Amino acid sequence: MLLRYIFFRALMLIPVSISISVVIFLIVHLLPGDPIDNLIRVGSSTEDRKTLVLKYGLDQPLAVQYFRWIGAIFQGDFGEAIVLRRPVADLIAQNLPYSLRLGGAAFAFSSIAGITLGTISATTRSAIVEIIMRGFILLGSTVPGFWLALLMILFFAVQLQWFPVSGAKGWSSLVLPVLTIGFGGVALVARVTRVALLDVRREDFVTLLHAKGLPSRTILFRHLMPHAMLPVVTILALRIGWILGGAVTVEFVFGRPGLGSLLIRAIGQRDYPVVQGCLLMLALAVMLGTLIGDVAQAAMDPRIRETKK
Amino acid sequence: MRNTIKSRLLAGTTLIAAGFLSNAVVAQEVTIAFPADELGATSYNPVTSNNLNSAASLIYDRLIEQDADQSYHPHLATSWEESTDGMSWTFHLKDGVTFHDGSPFNAQSVADWIPDFADTENAYLVAAVASVEVIDNLTVKFVMSRPEPSLLYNLASTFMGVPGAAAFDSMGDDFGVSGAVGTGPFKLDSFAIGLETVLVRNDDYAWASDLSENQGAAHIGKITFREVPDQSTAFLELKTGGIDLLLGVPTPFLEILKAESNVAVIQMPGTGINYMPINVTSAPFDDIKVREATGLAINQEAIVASIYNGVGAPAHNFLISSLPEADVDPALNVSFDLDRAKMLLDEAGWMMGDGAVRSKDGVPLSVKLFTQNGEEFTSLTQVVQAQLADIGMEAVITVFDSSTIRDEYKNNRHQLAVRGYDWNNSDILDWFFSGKRLGYPNVSMWEDAEGQRLNDVAMEDSTNSDERIANFKAYHEYVLSQHLFVPIYQPTKNIAYNSDRLSVPDPVRGTRFRSQTVLDMAVVE
Repeated sequence: MLLRYIFFRALMLIPVSISISVVIFLIVHLLPGDPIDNLIRVGSSTEDRKTLVLKYGLDQPLAVQYFRWIGAIFQGDFGEAIVLRRPVADLIAQNLPYSLRLGGAAFAFSSIAGITLGTISATTRSAIVEIIMRGFILLGSTVPGFWLALLMILFFAVQLQWFPVSGAKGWSSLVLPVLTIGFGGVALVARVTRVALLDVRREDFVTLLHAKGLPSRTILFRHLMPHAMLPVVTILALRIGWILGGAVTVEFVFGRPGLGSLLIRAIGQRDYPVVQGCLLMLALAVMLGTLIGDVAQAAMDPRIRETKK
Repeated sequence: MRNTIKSRLLAGTTLIAAGFLSNAVVAQEVTIAFPADELGATSYNPVTSNNLNSAASLIYDRLIEQDADQSYHPHLATSWEESTDGMSWTFHLKDGVTFHDGSPFNAQSVADWIPDFADTENAYLVAAVASVEVIDNLTVKFVMSRPEPSLLYNLASTFMGVPGAAAFDSMGDDFGVSGAVGTGPFKLDSFAIGLETVLVRNDDYAWASDLSENQGAAHIGKITFREVPDQSTAFLELKTGGIDLLLGVPTPFLEILKAESNVAVIQMPGTGINYMPINVTSAPFDDIKVREATGLAINQEAIVASIYNGVGAPAHNFLISSLPEADVDPALNVSFDLDRAKMLLDEAGWMMGDGAVRSKDGVPLSVKLFTQNGEEFTSLTQVVQAQLADIGMEAVITVFDSSTIRDEYKNNRHQLAVRGYDWNNSDILDWFFSGKRLGYPNVSMWEDAEGQRLNDVAMEDSTNSDERIANFKAYHEYVLSQHLFVPIYQPTKNIAYNSDRLSVPDPVRGTRFRSQTVLDMAVVE
């Protein structure tokens, strides 16, 4: 049953990906400006410019350019960057590990810390803990990333000198970026966990469990958590795609390479193949994340398998 | 507290270690941050790349070097002669030079290298070279298809660093990425795109140009070049010792850096101009009197003092002061003159009414003022706006990203724009004012028969450098007489370094921070 559900959901990704590729292509090509101006230098002639436009097929109708691009993608060829002068697949491969490391660590940190904090916040009856939690959740959801990044650097790298100011060498350079990105994630996950737990606690079956005399701990872990995790998993799944490209500001401040930084640079230079390649990757990651989330939910909740079949 | 003890222990250990090891071994490593305009290089292949950073100048040597005064100095070429008709150049090469892979540098290396440029985006550098003839082992002759007065300038470019032919051919697209072979004072050790480039000393190096005092191998053993896009982060790295030297420090940052006790700052003369092109096709700027008045309204000296704390120089024409073609008839230089600006606008029929904005036939003197995002231009544009208000011209600012603003130029939607260029050769006049490039780069949208004639003469009919200077000067003077732009500012290139760790020669020799400077740098701690 579950396998059938996964199969049909995965099949849906194909038409969705193709529609997304059209949207990506159009957005990129309808931006004002073009890559050739970022390629030519003083001294080259107007003829040189025309040669380059022809070389990259930019004189062709958009439809032709689109089918050339998507046709090559189906053969596993992401094309050659126009301004950055490397195969797009190489550029993505070089930046992906940095994004995965940072995004993955931040994802793990925000999931674990967020669920823990949310659970403590929902189950503790102490008013002080409650206030601190709510304050933290509010701060974490609102503090801008670049500002937090600079504060982190000033305190932990300049004052205490525990971690390097910037860079991407070794685990120590990962700590501050992960804390910076994770801070917002922790607050979000904690908030969702807290609300979900509080909602479930009001259900009749929980009252019954208490009446039966089960210990609170058993009720929390055996009965409350599985129910409360459904919205948390949804939120986490949506953040999987964001792991890859959501760290642009943090990458910038900490001087780290990554897919986000590559994408921003490529957009600035209108390096079409790179922008398209990166956006397609990110879109696929978001779709996969959603799929994983849906499957996880279906696995956890039989009702979803039944209704969505 | 525990941390303090820990760092003291660490410091103690380092001291003890330093006592045992020779100083040269532990201390000769330096970390440098690339300037913002050199970020994002994806290759160290000088022939095919369109973006080379400072590290490239350390891996490859050039035949010729250029100093800050724009003079040319021998490097791998010890001397050269140009035929009187400009149709051939003979270069005599330095003896005893070897590439990083051990192969010798000789006339054949040059003959193998020049044809590599064919069909690359850098082909224009040697477009006038028809063929390269090997005369003997250390003499090479360039046979030209037309005179090329810019040949020496091109040869001094980073893009004309000489690669080792064998490695260049065998490595293909990986040359400059996974490895690189040149004759320079440093070898490429590792290159992580977007992160850092590590170079190690070429111990055999003994062929520096006369721009360096040190003629042997570099004092520094290892250099890590890092990409740090955020200026605040770069500053904190410098302060905490994570980075020893910052290239391309923005001028407004200098005051903050100078306040640090361990930071020293060097200002090199820049190689560009910040200016305001005027779209001559857009009313009211189709009237030359309005254009001239606009130029006279800009107070360059006040801008240097207020925005740049007196660092850098005012610009009064289109070229950097060190170029001979910048030495034009003084009457043509553009300088602040508020009274004359107001008088010209009165003559043009733009009269001051009751308000602060002039008008003509009921139309207010309100114009569009474009610029691109980034601190560099936005504050300057605001001051320009205020100075234009003093002559009764209302300028409405719009900020674009650098690609979008070019689209605006090409679609002729602009009137005034604050922008800059970085180029130390007078052919920049052709780039920005040729009638063949209307919209962009010819933002002034200027098409003029006499202008194009003078352009063609300068670009194509100059057979030697003296003729070229005279021709470009004439073209420059004509461009100035048409009031197509307002010159504003000549920025400096700023370097900041940790003076507790490094000694850096001041003044820096050359047009940019390159191998000649790095050879003379040393770790002092």
